[in-house]
Amino acid sequence: MKKTLILVNSNLRGTKGQTIAIIVLALLAGLMLNLWLMLSTDYRQNFDRCHSRLNAEHVMLAVDGKDDRLIDFVTETLEHDGRMKEYTLDHALHMVGSFEYNDGSINTEFVFLEKETALSHPVGKVEIVEDSSFTSGIYMPMLYKSEDIAVGDRITVSIGNNQLSYNVCGFFNSVMAGSHNCVMCELVLTADKYEELKNSGYAPEATLCSVRLKDCSESERFESTLKNAVSAQYPTVRTVSNSYALVSQSRYISQMICSGIISAMAFFILLIALVVIASNIINYIQENMKSLGALKAIGYTSRQLICTLVLQFGGLTLAAAAAGAVLSYCLFPYINDMMITQTGIPYQVRFLPLPFFITLTALCSAAALAAGLSARRIRNIAPVSALRQGVHTHSFRKNHVSLEWTKAPLSFALALKTTFSGIRQNLTVCITMLVLSLVVVFSGLMKENIITDIAPFLNLIVGETADSCINVTSPAEETFLQKMESDRHVEKIYLYHSVQVRHVGGTELTATICNDFSKLNNQNIVFEGRFPRYDNEIAVAAKYAREKDIQIGNEITITSDGRKAEYIVSGFTQTSNSLGKDCLLTRLGYERLGSLQNMSYYLNLSDNTDIGQFHEKIKRQFGNDINTTIDINATISGSASVYVSLMTLIVIAVLVLSAIIVTFVLYLLVRTMLSSKKKDYGILKALGFTTGQLILQTALSFMPAVILSTVIGVTVCSFIINPLTSLFLNSIGIVKCTFNVPAGFIILAGVGLILFAFAIACLLSLKIKNITPRTLFTGE
Amino acid sequence: MKKILIKTNNLSKSFSSGGTMQHVLKNISLELYQGDFTVIMGSSGAGKSTLLYALSGMDTPSLGTITFMDKVISDLRQDELAIFRRRHCGFVFQQIYLIDGMSVMDNILAAGLLVTKDKKSLSDRARKLFSQVEISKETQKKFPTQISGGEAQRAGIVRALINQPEILFADEPTGALNSKTGLDVLNVLTRFNEQGQSVVMVTHDIRSAARGNRILYLKDGSILGECNLDKYSRADKSCRPKRNEKLSAFLAEMGW
Repeated sequence: MKKTLILVNSNLRGTKGQTIAIIVLALLAGLMLNLWLMLSTDYRQNFDRCHSRLNAEHVMLAVDGKDDRLIDFVTETLEHDGRMKEYTLDHALHMVGSFEYNDGSINTEFVFLEKETALSHPVGKVEIVEDSSFTSGIYMPMLYKSEDIAVGDRITVSIGNNQLSYNVCGFFNSVMAGSHNCVMCELVLTADKYEELKNSGYAPEATLCSVRLKDCSESERFESTLKNAVSAQYPTVRTVSNSYALVSQSRYISQMICSGIISAMAFFILLIALVVIASNIINYIQENMKSLGALKAIGYTSRQLICTLVLQFGGLTLAAAAAGAVLSYCLFPYINDMMITQTGIPYQVRFLPLPFFITLTALCSAAALAAGLSARRIRNIAPVSALRQGVHTHSFRKNHVSLEWTKAPLSFALALKTTFSGIRQNLTVCITMLVLSLVVVFSGLMKENIITDIAPFLNLIVGETADSCINVTSPAEETFLQKMESDRHVEKIYLYHSVQVRHVGGTELTATICNDFSKLNNQNIVFEGRFPRYDNEIAVAAKYAREKDIQIGNEITITSDGRKAEYIVSGFTQTSNSLGKDCLLTRLGYERLGSLQNMSYYLNLSDNTDIGQFHEKIKRQFGNDINTTIDINATISGSASVYVSLMTLIVIAVLVLSAIIVTFVLYLLVRTMLSSKKKDYGILKALGFTTGQLILQTALSFMPAVILSTVIGVTVCSFIINPLTSLFLNSIGIVKCTFNVPAGFIILAGVGLILFAFAIACLLSLKIKNITPRTLFTGE
Repeated sequence: MKKILIKTNNLSKSFSSGGTMQHVLKNISLELYQGDFTVIMGSSGAGKSTLLYALSGMDTPSLGTITFMDKVISDLRQDELAIFRRRHCGFVFQQIYLIDGMSVMDNILAAGLLVTKDKKSLSDRARKLFSQVEISKETQKKFPTQISGGEAQRAGIVRALINQPEILFADEPTGALNSKTGLDVLNVLTRFNEQGQSVVMVTHDIRSAARGNRILYLKDGSILGECNLDKYSRADKSCRPKRNEKLSAFLAEMGW
């Protein structure tokens, strides 16, 4: 062992540059892998920890009304269900509303709770995370804590058609209703403000039913049963609900996206690090053939020499991976801050032994394996022949790019000769550039479809968007439509209303009802088959269809309000609104199950229409017949800015990381080349080649592999990026991604990547300046 | 009157070694003439190769000037020296230094294409030179490690002459060869000198030195003496005893 360590020490001294480059790559791989493991294990489990700590609900149901018969019915239903573990019923106020947030607005179902009730109810209690001395006002979910919303600020909450201004007293954490991603969002009022709102009548009184189940995997089925039971008994009562399954996924979309990207980067960096290690070992063996022969001659066994390299690279990787894992803990608070704007659940960064251990073990084992496999050729070194002549590395079967016949300029021709003689160099470059091409295409896709213009992302994720959404009562519908059709500001109006239905033999689905789907702005919601046209047709979410093996043309049974009807599947949809559990029905189709009590209409308004003023005008005209008005653009802007900033950060991070990777991989290759061709450079300088010519020649020798792999990589990735992204977004209901692939940006970025690689190769080759013809006769 | 090719004035070269300066060349002033076969002799460590590389622009002097055909080259920057070397000098090395990754022909063309883009005339000239040094077409296609040392050194001479240099520098060209192949190489060099090619050769082999018409003896970085001989003739063997005798007497005088 001591002998091995002496050799390791000697090797490391001789290859400081390569050692540093491998350390950087292993460090990055360690950082990424540990981050990914932390994000996908403990960070994800934080939801469950928080859920348990706050004894949070598995199903929440807000039922408008508080009469005893209704409460008795709900109580009886819960008591008779064996899946229920415990529950509480609380008095609440429930109404659709909005408030300004992140240069946009949050529009969702608000459930107002009185502070003492919220803090004390045994199931689903809220936890105050920031309090103040203010005794009158509102407590907001901590997700919305921002520069615009802070303790002491005034916040205006629109409740139905009314606006109320509150003093922000603090922030709280609620696992199941602490975000607009949870279907319903709790707002906690101090006793005086709660009474004030109750007495104003702006928000109907409701009963909030918080249920914990014996088995959380039953949450969706239980939610559906409870909701259907209430709807069947009280068809006119408005209800809104959520489940553990829905909330646990929807609050972690950013975590899932971030974790997926980091895992891909970790894998790619590890792959590059392994290729570089293997390439380094093979070069080391070639360059040190005589030394290895000498060591064998004095009695070292092949096993000892291989062990030396395994120990050297395994040890380096272990140390670098440990440093990377430690560094990930420095970086994690920033990622946590970024992520919390979407999850809204506090997370305490702490040391996690298991991810740390897995990171070290995985990287160290992979490096040791790569080192061991590449070092196997040491076994073939015979001491005598190695000492006498070493090993000739060139393939002499063919004189590539004969200078006599080639039309290429001298520097280019000589560069091509080097290219053709360096298979490992080309392989390393190709793998690196292919990976980076994917990064370039992915960055282009994110830039085009999220950062620059979020519309394609919204079209895919949200589905339909318009300028305005107005919810009107059933009796006023006809007048409302007549007025809107004659209003000069209204370009298009169509019914777009969501209700909950249940697939018999399946689960609850969000049904979007439209009288004419051809009016939708986004005709890509149905990506296979077609929108339903007749009352016996339905389009279902592709993710759900795949889970239930539903094909286009199949007949499925849907139930709502105690009635059942059969529908033929006309097409598949994809949006993330209900995480892949939704369907589309025509109005006539839905009316086979029940009738709409109120309905949401989507409106496209003419340019320069002030949406706020337009809504005010409608409210004045129709009074209480207008339940809600939503400025869709403002709502999207409020929620989308989180994704835009998250994606901008991710794209910048992956591009910076790519630049670092290209630099270090090229550094290793150029350094290896300069070392192995030092004599050749000396000869060429003696013959009259200038430093500039040799730098150009060296940099050019990498270019065929760089250009070829970038062109192939960018082209192939442009075709596969949408299917890849679909795989990535599958868990939120996207099965066929249709993002615009920005050809111009990708071509420019590809050219930029090639030029960057060329510039870096030139810069790294500047060391040729130090090689002089004197090298030949002084042996420096 | 012989034309001066290279002239040095107080040429000195020092190296730092282990914190102390070693003065390898000391105030050397000399002239090298066109058409001469100049031999630089001396014991090991006398500074022969250092002088050769300084004269050829391969290395820069620490002090003094070197003038090549009235142009001072000792002040040139590395890249200017590289351009000077490719246009005016040819080199034959003891270790031959053909590039292993290129065929023999490509080794020659890589040097030739630095000066001319006329590939056809370059290839013709290369083939003519190959023919003069008796290297076959098959050998031209081979890689350096696939040919004998003698063949490689003769290919090295072709590479040195491909750009029709004013002067050919040879550093112990037979040092790595056996006596038979060494003799072949000397004959090639002599033949080119007979055709008018100026040659400067470093050697410590008396048989090689005998090919020169001017012998410079270097000791401890200074020129200790100089011996001028008649031109060596491969055809006329009668004058060789007299030349050898004069050379032996000179070397004995120098303490060889």
